[in-house]
Amino acid sequence: MTRSRRIGLLALIGLLLVLPLMLTPNLINAVIKMMIAGLFALSFSLAMGQAGMLSFGHSAYYGLGAFATLHLMRAAEHSLVTWPTPLMPLAGAAAGFLCGLGFGWLATQRTGVYFAMVTLALAELLFTLAPTWNSVFGGESGISTMRMNSWSINFASDASVYYLTLAWVIGSTWCLWAFTRTPMGRLALAVRENEHRVRFLGFNTHGAKTIIFAISATFTGVAGSLLAIANEATNYTVFSAQASANVVLQTFIGGAGTFFGPALGAASMTFFARVTSDLTRSWLLYQGLIFVIVMLFVPEGIGGLISTHARRLRATALRHLALPYLVCFVVGVLLVVGIVFVVESVHVVMSDAYAVLRRSNGGALVPYPLFGRQFDPRSPWTWAIPAVAILAGAALLPFARRLTSMGWSRSLKESAA
Amino acid sequence: MSVATAGAPVLILRDLHKSFGATAIIRGVDLTVTRGQRHGLIGPNGAGKSTLFNLISGHYVPSAGEILLNGQSILGLTPYAINRRGLSRSFQITNLFPRMSVAENLRISVMGRHGHRFTLGRPVSRLAKVTAEVDEYLEKLRLTRRRDDAAGDLAYSEQRTLEIGMALATNPEILLLDEPTGGMSREESLYTVALIRTVTEGKTLLVVEHDMNVVFNLCDQISVLVYGEVIASGPPEAVRANRAVQEAYLGEEVA
Repeated sequence: MTRSRRIGLLALIGLLLVLPLMLTPNLINAVIKMMIAGLFALSFSLAMGQAGMLSFGHSAYYGLGAFATLHLMRAAEHSLVTWPTPLMPLAGAAAGFLCGLGFGWLATQRTGVYFAMVTLALAELLFTLAPTWNSVFGGESGISTMRMNSWSINFASDASVYYLTLAWVIGSTWCLWAFTRTPMGRLALAVRENEHRVRFLGFNTHGAKTIIFAISATFTGVAGSLLAIANEATNYTVFSAQASANVVLQTFIGGAGTFFGPALGAASMTFFARVTSDLTRSWLLYQGLIFVIVMLFVPEGIGGLISTHARRLRATALRHLALPYLVCFVVGVLLVVGIVFVVESVHVVMSDAYAVLRRSNGGALVPYPLFGRQFDPRSPWTWAIPAVAILAGAALLPFARRLTSMGWSRSLKESAA
Repeated sequence: MSVATAGAPVLILRDLHKSFGATAIIRGVDLTVTRGQRHGLIGPNGAGKSTLFNLISGHYVPSAGEILLNGQSILGLTPYAINRRGLSRSFQITNLFPRMSVAENLRISVMGRHGHRFTLGRPVSRLAKVTAEVDEYLEKLRLTRRRDDAAGDLAYSEQRTLEIGMALATNPEILLLDEPTGGMSREESLYTVALIRTVTEGKTLLVVEHDMNVVFNLCDQISVLVYGEVIASGPPEAVRANRAVQEAYLGEEVA
């Protein structure tokens, strides 16, 4: 690891350590969920990014980790066992590992699309089974419990849950990172690159893939555990295909080819969802748009983009790229403003509330409320806002791209000289 | 590795058959490769040379017959199990880990033999023996200056060298090379043959090759496969003089 990367990482950990002192309980909770999503994506990416196994059913291990932890927490709550709360994620790790081993052994018999289908089917199996199996999954309502205080820590507070989550996320991330440096980690890369050849070099690739999958499922189980501890409850919906698909999308948005990219993607998309879902009902549309844009224009993901640009910036300072970045930012803001205005306007105008408003005004196209103001749908000024923003953004886009590539090649030339 | 005398059979094929559906590709092959031999396998296109390699290395399962490696049957074993018993192969179409470095490619070959197949407890950087051996192979293969380049970025002939090197680095008792100089220019081919000679010093080889010059230059024993049968086997001069071989395959090339 390079020095600057190590400093960046330490700064991040330092920030995460002092963060609860500055945030409201609601935001602390948001950061907890972001860290959990980050760990989930990192674990998923071990199978997908390192070993090339695109699993569409990782919610299975996430959910099983959550349920296993809740059962252990319940047992502790009723004094059936003595198990300290900070070590509860071990239950999730064990559940993830065992099921990952079993399901993984089955699924890794096949590769590519067939592998993805088997993993998806196994997760769907749990999704359909869980609501009807009361004793294990608590039926449709799921199961809930309470965090017990242990090691003289009061686990009723948000801050204690935050630090418990942080400790497990840091520990797990270290393990996942260390894995990439081991012979097994190198073997995972080789399996991704050319499984056929690995077989002729004396390696049982099915065995290797089963173990890699199980390790991925283990840490996914830990992530599920942390979710269960934070929420003190869960139900069958954790097994949904939507949850499995989310981690795939987040990993690709973050960059499947980098180690920390998936965590970045997952944390930022979780934050994005939390913020935007309170503000607008179109937040899923925006999330989809982001995914499409990233896949079309930045297929290496946010992490890949950052690592490429960071390397360049280190080499040449901001001189050549400051202006291009600024122009790109302006273009981005213009396009976002325009698109958001149109989407939100359409949303309001198509809503039932607006229909009621129109009816009470004799069917006239009355002004509609948006962003705390009134806009008249018949006024050209209303539509001039998004039109100007989008047209200006679209017109500037080729310019911004050319400027960036020019600055890029100039900095390349300079570092070559 | 067992110590065995030169001249003892390492690989024996007995009445080997392979059919795909109704089509018989290998129709009763008998072949013996003895220790220290550089055994060439030649034959016209479609004679079944590649199929034979795939049968020996465990990629296909024979329809009938026997394959003995060091006197033990390897019939029905998986490719990795056969590799661990001391048989390694290279591929006709370059078959590397393109986005991994040259050293990493070789490391995969080397580390299994040192008991690091599924090792999780130690980083690769601490496996000094493995690293030393990887460096040794890099030197032997004359790829040291390409150490940290991605295998996919190498020149074609370098990729072919690495291909052979990876098969060699599992330190097999018998090495199967599938057209090691295929697709190479004359100079590249000469270079590669010389390199194979040095890096496989003392090894047992079974080589499929199209280029007659390569085979007669490299091998001390030649078998000729035509339509799934071995029609002749012997030292190069004997095979060259063999009437059936001339008619079936060599034709005017040798005459």
